[in-house]
Amino acid sequence: MDERLKYAPCGYISITHEGIVTEVNQTFLDMMGYAQEDLVHKHIESIMSTANKLIFHSYFYPFINLDGHVEELYLRLKDRQGESIPYILNGRRYEMEGVEIIDCVLVQMGKRIDYELELRSAKKQMENAYWEKDQALVKLKQIHMEIEQKQQELMDINAVLVELSYTDKLTGLKNRRFVQEKLEEQIIRYGSTQEPFSICILDIDYFKKVNDTWGHQTGDEVLEKLADILISHSLHKDVVARFGGEEFVMILPDMDVHESKVKAENLRRAIANVAWEKINITVSIGVATVTPQDSDTTILKQADLALYASKENGRNRVTHIIDLNEKSL
Amino acid sequence: MNDIMARNNVKVIGEGDRTIIFAHGFGCDQSMWQYITPSFEKEFRIILFDYVGSGNSDLSAYTTEKYSQFSGYVQDVLDIIETLNLNNVIFVGHSVSSMIGMLASIERPDYFDKLIMVGPSPRYLNDGDYVGGFEKSDIIELLDMMEMNFTGWASFMAPLAMNHPDHPDLTEQLERSFISTNPVVAREFAEVTFLSDHREALLKSTVPTLIMQCSDDSIVPIVVGEYLHSHLKDSTFRLMEAKGHYPHISHPEETISLINEYLA
Repeated sequence: MDERLKYAPCGYISITHEGIVTEVNQTFLDMMGYAQEDLVHKHIESIMSTANKLIFHSYFYPFINLDGHVEELYLRLKDRQGESIPYILNGRRYEMEGVEIIDCVLVQMGKRIDYELELRSAKKQMENAYWEKDQALVKLKQIHMEIEQKQQELMDINAVLVELSYTDKLTGLKNRRFVQEKLEEQIIRYGSTQEPFSICILDIDYFKKVNDTWGHQTGDEVLEKLADILISHSLHKDVVARFGGEEFVMILPDMDVHESKVKAENLRRAIANVAWEKINITVSIGVATVTPQDSDTTILKQADLALYASKENGRNRVTHIIDLNEKSL
Repeated sequence: MNDIMARNNVKVIGEGDRTIIFAHGFGCDQSMWQYITPSFEKEFRIILFDYVGSGNSDLSAYTTEKYSQFSGYVQDVLDIIETLNLNNVIFVGHSVSSMIGMLASIERPDYFDKLIMVGPSPRYLNDGDYVGGFEKSDIIELLDMMEMNFTGWASFMAPLAMNHPDHPDLTEQLERSFISTNPVVAREFAEVTFLSDHREALLKSTVPTLIMQCSDDSIVPIVVGEYLHSHLKDSTFRLMEAKGHYPHISHPEETISLINEYLA
């Protein structure tokens, strides 16, 4: 062997096609603590662990035979003490006079392996961090979904509560609070569109007598039945509400004086004509149609005045405030 | 049909009434058969392929769920046979492919005429009296060595690939070299191969089988070949002069002549 190759700054080994070592340089022997006779004529696998043999078989033999060369194979070889020493191996296949020979150059990894192992452990940590991040994200999404679901439930419950807060418990009609809000809305709408609307206040005649004679149970039944009649005579856009006690209010959007008077009269007649179970029930009705001077409170007051007049004039009748005002003029 | 042909990079060469499928082993691809196939091209139709995850197969077809067990690879073989409508197949399997072929033949014995096993082992790990040649620690060291040998192990992509086996970056064309082997796929193939145990399945095999065992095989001890011979019905055992674990590369002439003798 050339003197310079013998002491070249890397290990150099030649093997046959079958893997038998034919030449090895001094550098490699010195690095590993072997003598020539320990390696020459021996199989190169004799200094490999089982796993390294398998690596050598899987990634060196096939590729050196098919491609003629192998680059940067990481391999561990056993030194004289049995220590496993990491190497980078490059191999090249030569044919000289029909005989195949494989030259291998081995560079000990030394410090480099520490860097690589460090890099690998950093990579493992990163993988774990990624994994944990993914897990955390999955959990967050889960929590987010749960919150959204709870929020939806709350909104549903809230909608029910809102509905309840606008509802009269006994009759299922809207209540006084709803009427007040709707009246405000109607006044605002009137201000911008000039479309009139009317309201009716209905009061059951001699209702106290019903309660006194037949008891509150019957009184309640009368209120419920009246509610049904009002609903069946109203349009979807109309508001039908129990204002309190035996008093009911209807808001009639888009109805002018004449229409509201007809509507109220129809109602009065319908109620009087119903076959009530124990006693006949009639109502007195006061009607008001909005005027430019009205607010939500004044229009209620006007209808109330009209109702008062209906009561004064013998009950079971309809009075529109406009007629009352004309009369008094 | 095209799906399977592209997925497994299936190549059909040669002419003849009988069909030979050559199946590569762990860490390889179909190019490992290049010294063998020319001798059979004139008389046989030859099917070459890469398992999903190996060679130039479609890496996007790789899922850990399917290919972290033998059944995934067995299915590859059956898919190819069914796609090409093959029967009376002579299946030549190297290393782990011997067992893949055998399991496929147990599932569909009607597809197969003969099995030829090159360097087979039903179990690589030692187990009581059974000598497989490997200790568990050897396998752990092997996986470790593999990891250090593949590019990608230290790269930023590796953790993403681990978490997302269907990651599109895996589909990039890889040059044939151990350096460019996908580390996740290689590791899983290694685990499937070296931690498997098919000793019980041997008794279910009915297709006539040739066992080709290298003398001085540093991967599979000779006793493993003998074990197979004694447990496989209708099997022929041939100890080769070839040494090592890749006789089809290191000793193609002997490999060819043993196959020819068996098929004659």
